Amino acid sequence: MYRHNYLCIALLAAAALILVRPAVAEPSIAGAVTSTDGKSVADAVVFVLAPAPTAASHGASPIVDQIDKTFVPGLLPVVVGTWVHFPNHDQIHHHVYSFSPAKTFELPLYKGEDAPPVLFDKVGVVKLGCNIHDWMSGIILVLPTPYFTVTDHDGRFVLRDLPAGTYTVSAWHALSKLKPEEAAQSVQVSAQATQVAFSLPLSAARPRRAMHGSRVEP
Amino acid sequence: MSTAITRIGCLVICGALSSQAYGQYEVDADKPVWLRALLDVRLVHAGPAPSWTDRGPGKTRYGGSVTDSGFQRATRFVLSQLALEVGANLPWDIRAQAQVNVQPDIADNYRPWLIEAILRREWGDADQGWGLQAGVMNTPFSLENTGPAWTPEFTISAAALNSWLWEDISVAGAEGEWWHTSRSGLRLGALVGAGYGGDQMGRLLALRGWAMGDTLGGINGDLALPARQERTDIFNERDQRPALYTWLTLGDEHDIASLKFGFMDNRGNQNEAGIWHTHFSTVGLVLHPHPRIDVLVQYLDGVAKVHAPPNDSSMSAAYVLLSHHHQGQRLSIRYETFRVHDLDGGPASTSEHGNAVTASYLVQMGLRHRIAFEYIWMNSHRLINGPLNPTPDGWQMSYRFRY
Repeated sequence: MYRHNYLCIALLAAAALILVRPAVAEPSIAGAVTSTDGKSVADAVVFVLAPAPTAASHGASPIVDQIDKTFVPGLLPVVVGTWVHFPNHDQIHHHVYSFSPAKTFELPLYKGEDAPPVLFDKVGVVKLGCNIHDWMSGIILVLPTPYFTVTDHDGRFVLRDLPAGTYTVSAWHALSKLKPEEAAQSVQVSAQATQVAFSLPLSAARPRRAMHGSRVEP
Repeated sequence: MSTAITRIGCLVICGALSSQAYGQYEVDADKPVWLRALLDVRLVHAGPAPSWTDRGPGKTRYGGSVTDSGFQRATRFVLSQLALEVGANLPWDIRAQAQVNVQPDIADNYRPWLIEAILRREWGDADQGWGLQAGVMNTPFSLENTGPAWTPEFTISAAALNSWLWEDISVAGAEGEWWHTSRSGLRLGALVGAGYGGDQMGRLLALRGWAMGDTLGGINGDLALPARQERTDIFNERDQRPALYTWLTLGDEHDIASLKFGFMDNRGNQNEAGIWHTHFSTVGLVLHPHPRIDVLVQYLDGVAKVHAPPNDSSMSAAYVLLSHHHQGQRLSIRYETFRVHDLDGGPASTSEHGNAVTASYLVQMGLRHRIAFEYIWMNSHRLINGPLNPTPDGWQMSYRFRY
């Protein structure tokens, strides 16, 4: 009798586990981004350039934090129409701004959570700066589609949950000499993950070095 | 003629169109050289005593005027500061930056002063690293001069303590700095520097006493002395003995609280005439109990000696500043006390004591504009002034443009 009860409970628990198991997004496109000299390219954004399929909003607004006088993350891809929060968790003030044509805005001197969120309603690159700390630099890449991903340290990426079909997929990097249209590839998405490789010619970078030390502390 | 006009028209139209047709996904490269500027103009209503910058007994940057019947208050519109900053990214990750300031009332003319010209290289990141810096610079001791172009961040005028640090010290030298964040979250920093040019350091304090303002001393500048025609050099090197200084910091990883200790000794050779030997210590505490609140406390104590004439003095000053900031507006109040004690009892005593309260309200409007109001009440008694001690209060309104 007791053995029978235990069996029922085990079966019910197994059924419950199966029913409440979170849906795992299926990989649609996977691959890597390299530079033309064969090196892995981290922080490249791979995204669907066209057509621009819609997807349900993720709900929570992404954030670009300010920690140790650095924008974190330094690169944030978002779909057009996204509100982004800019908390400042340094104990000094920052004055965030952008003069980019895709979004011109500023958040005057503030700390903590005081700044209102900013709506990014136009596709393109929004370069962030701080009016106080000239070396602080960040990028919000506003994309026409919610289907995007960022390459990891090894330059690898996985794009998930794309409906079956043919897409123009591209790779973007802050130092890329190619426009996304020039780097784009046509990709057929089916039940199996499609492998795609991008090779980007990159320009040399010499960003302004961050300043630390006591002279820039309050 | 018409062809030329047509060509110019085409060029203008093409230029306008090209400026509109930006690359949607292009990233503007960081400029390797950048230029910034700061312009500060003020409406000042000062106390009756003429300022020390006009060789009077006044203790604020702007003072009153002299009439047949004595001193009287004056209201004036002044160019307070024009600062130009240039910076550059050099090879090997070296950063270069320089700043010149025009401060007509302080310099007595429109000659630009070189405030800073440095090369800096850092290794590591915010958590741990070290840096080297060389060139013309001030010391790192001021907790208030952290605004753009080294202006006071919380008020228009810095406390007397930091006013003196920035007006009287400019050295040419080098410094090294190390910082580290421990596993427990303690942030440690140690800076050691050496620089030439401090052989007159302390003379201003002995002969003038403490004063409040936002003067930035330049390596090619000199400062007025009360009741004297001569001026005192900010940079003056006679004995070829570099000043030494250190700045130690200890704080938590979230910078809620940080404790700072500084020491400087100009190592002036007392066997040579006209050289001042000045050394001082300063300790500071910076608190951020709430994201909108800054609390600063700082104390300085030191001695300035000269072989002759007998003007040896000890000096001390302290202040506490409370500042609240919200959405571009900042309200600050500061109390300070200061003292100079004549050590050798010469005929012209250098002794003084006093205290002051400063209230200020700053409004930042966008990236470029700031309007500020400040009221200073000061009670100062300098023995040598007799009945001419400065009157206690004055206000100023500042408009600042930042490029």
